[in-house]
Amino acid sequence: MKSWLILLGGFIVWTVHFFGLYLIAEFAPSATLVIALTILCIIADLWLLRWLRAMACSEAFAQWRRSVGMAGAVLSLLAVLWQGLPVMLA
Amino acid sequence: MRSETGFDPDLYQRFPTQEERPAEEEEELRRIWCAPHGWEYLTVVNNNYVGIFYLGTAFLFFLLAGVLALLMRVQLAAPLMEVLPQATYNQVFTMHGTVMMFLFAVPMVEAAGVLLLPQMLAARDLPFPRLSAYAFWAYAVGGLAFFASLFVGLAPDGGWFMYPPYTSKAYSPGINADFWLLGIGFIEISAIAGAIEIIVGVLRTRAPGMSLDKMPIFAWAMLVFAVMIIIAFPSVILATLLLEIERAFNWPFFDAARGGDPVLWQHLFWFFGHPEVYIIFLPAAGMMSMIVPTVAKAELVGYRLIVLAMIATGFISFGVWAHHMFTVGLPPMTTGFFSAASMAVSLPAGIQVFSWIATLAIGRPRFNAPGLFVLGSIVIFVTGGLTGVMVALVPFDWQAHDTYFIVAHLHYVLIGGMVFPLFAAMYYWIPMVSSRAMSERLAKWVFGLMFTGMNVAFMPMHLAGLMGMPRRVYTYLPGSGWDMLNLISTVGAFLFAFGVLLFLIDLARNFRMAPGGGNAGNVYGAGSLEWLPTELYSTRSIPVVKSREPLWDDPKISDNVEQGRYFLPRSATGLRETIVTSPLLAEPQYVQIMPGPSVWPLVAAIFTAFFFLALTVQAYMFGLASGVITVMAMLRWLSETDRPIAQDEVDIGAGIMVPTYMTGPRSHGWWAMVILMIVMAMISAMAMFGLAFLWSNQPTFWTPPALLGEGAPIALGYGLVVAAAVSSRWLHRIGNNWAVAPVLLAGLAAPLLTWLDIRMWSAVLAPDASGQGAAVFAILSLQGTVAAIGILFAAYLGWRALRGLITPTRNSTLDLACLFIGYCGAQGLVGTIFTRAVGA
Repeated sequence: MKSWLILLGGFIVWTVHFFGLYLIAEFAPSATLVIALTILCIIADLWLLRWLRAMACSEAFAQWRRSVGMAGAVLSLLAVLWQGLPVMLA
Repeated sequence: MRSETGFDPDLYQRFPTQEERPAEEEEELRRIWCAPHGWEYLTVVNNNYVGIFYLGTAFLFFLLAGVLALLMRVQLAAPLMEVLPQATYNQVFTMHGTVMMFLFAVPMVEAAGVLLLPQMLAARDLPFPRLSAYAFWAYAVGGLAFFASLFVGLAPDGGWFMYPPYTSKAYSPGINADFWLLGIGFIEISAIAGAIEIIVGVLRTRAPGMSLDKMPIFAWAMLVFAVMIIIAFPSVILATLLLEIERAFNWPFFDAARGGDPVLWQHLFWFFGHPEVYIIFLPAAGMMSMIVPTVAKAELVGYRLIVLAMIATGFISFGVWAHHMFTVGLPPMTTGFFSAASMAVSLPAGIQVFSWIATLAIGRPRFNAPGLFVLGSIVIFVTGGLTGVMVALVPFDWQAHDTYFIVAHLHYVLIGGMVFPLFAAMYYWIPMVSSRAMSERLAKWVFGLMFTGMNVAFMPMHLAGLMGMPRRVYTYLPGSGWDMLNLISTVGAFLFAFGVLLFLIDLARNFRMAPGGGNAGNVYGAGSLEWLPTELYSTRSIPVVKSREPLWDDPKISDNVEQGRYFLPRSATGLRETIVTSPLLAEPQYVQIMPGPSVWPLVAAIFTAFFFLALTVQAYMFGLASGVITVMAMLRWLSETDRPIAQDEVDIGAGIMVPTYMTGPRSHGWWAMVILMIVMAMISAMAMFGLAFLWSNQPTFWTPPALLGEGAPIALGYGLVVAAAVSSRWLHRIGNNWAVAPVLLAGLAAPLLTWLDIRMWSAVLAPDASGQGAAVFAILSLQGTVAAIGILFAAYLGWRALRGLITPTRNSTLDLACLFIGYCGAQGLVGTIFTRAVGA
């Protein structure tokens, strides 16, 4: 389970953010809620990146797993920022 | 992470073994995995046959849908043509889109997975061969029956996404729409069966040592593809069920005048429909990523980035469904999010394209048949991708929506992203299954005609669309400025068709099926495991994998595999078997006994198709009889599996001993059941989303729901069902003789609870009174269906317990029944609370 969390962690954060945005927009539209959710998800991505950077990896598979996880977290960070922009700029 | 399961990786050093293997071992393998004769072809379950049947059928549908496309192009070649009457044209364009998407694209890539994955992973077969056979026959019989509706004028005519209210009973009174709704729902079940097989196959039957970072990129693509099917397809299954129920029983899910909402259909459809595009694209991209390094004679650039891009595409594709709905009047905030996500999805696609270009750039590419189609695919797909970013911009989409610009865009994406990679793949892998490779000389003509024809056909459609030509019109007036563009498109379509025809001629000349050995071999010099020498049992022995291109990195591997110097050089139990490995590092865990040929998957598939067809033509008694026969056939099929064998442990090579049976979360059956539960949970979640959506959008039709307190005893009852399922497993573990009793009682209690809940709700709401009533009773009906399957599980478990087939060490049936009935309780518990909470 830990390996899947490392590999998919960033994408899980992105999913929470995206579907959170959709639910907010559909059922309770509020810019404050969107910004709060975006900040929370950015923090989650940054925490994930910090955790993965500090992780000791000696075996080839563990190194590969960490590098995919970190790249996913970076991608998620960009996606969360990008999708928060329409509301933050409005 | 040195070991995942406690297996000592130093044991891999014992391979390749040095001693000679007895010659009779290979003979025994041939006997066990023998080829079918005559009628036995109908009962075959081996992936070498099922995969080719599957591919051939899917390609047949490609040709049939292609003929429909040509008919449409002839009709549109000039203004006011009268080749097809308007009503027939509507059926033809609906069938073209539907057949291409549901009967060609998804089954074709699923079929490629069934054929290629065991070879690439060096498994003897996928873990549930009979499920593969069932998925194929269900698809073939159902698909052909569905297509035949065209010949009797009963084909659906509402477009491939069948929007209500146009497809409601009021505006589509015949049974044409029912053919679509029941036919597609049924075919999706087959797709889900295949996806379960692929997920468990990729994660649990890889060759020892093939950790995730050494897995072929096609296997990664198929894994993401199958997971996407599991998440996306339940949505369209639910949508088709709801619309069919609305049409048959007047439950107004999508009738705005009675508290339903047609936009709910669009959400449910596109939650499936957009990921569907990536479901089609990803396996094709996986094929490209396998072919490009071979063509370029260089290692794939950015393997880990491609894996990341595939996973990212899988996730992001679920966040873009509403970009098909920009013009329906979504809230502005929603529109902004979906627009942003739609642009973002081009990033992972771009990563893959740049990786292919970089691999070609650093290598010494040879533009042979696969190489040409790879290049053509990149050019066409990038063009389609760029127009995709254009339509992700909301103001542009408002202008281009429902015009020929969209037709051009989607064909560039799908032909560049799927059809060209598929042709590259056919040229590339046909030597693996045929005794002769395809003609390189003809291939250049095929490519030239298809590439030119494709661009001549679809490039002018961008202009026609920008000049205002709408989609789905059967003719147009002269002088609109579209005449010449349409004529050019028609010429292009025929050029493309000539290319395909030439391919068929080449296929007829050179394709000679050779599943049992004697194939043309590794003519392109690839480095992955599917090019090891194989027979019907796959490879003679299962190698230890140390790199992503083992054939390039270890020139002796083919000889050593063929001489039986690796894992499982013989049949350890005298039965069909493969090694089940751990999901991350692929460490050997146990030997799976695989079922052999059987007629029951075929019988079950035929009667499943009859069941759905009978519902379509409202022959309910025949439908009921077909349903009963289907269930009986499935139970008969199941009863032949999970039988005791003499050996508890076997030597799988070099003295390494593993068990022949595994139960609980480490077993492949447990994994399949968990995936099935995810499918059911998705259907249930989508139904609950529907209820919440209607409450949010149609508040004036809302009736105060049944009281939460009144539902508490039912919720408690469902909680007890879960507890009983858990306790049965626990009692069995501690050796209690009556361990099956709690779960049997729970299986019987669950439908009773659903019946009580239905009675309680009937006092408050009627299903045909409002959208709310329809949605609540849909949730209850789904619960009733799950509970009914739970009874079957309980009955089957009881039968096995009485026959003494549930023992302390062999208890998979008990485990799986507990899982399912426990899930049934959990779904009932959530549904009971949720229906009462929404709008309370």
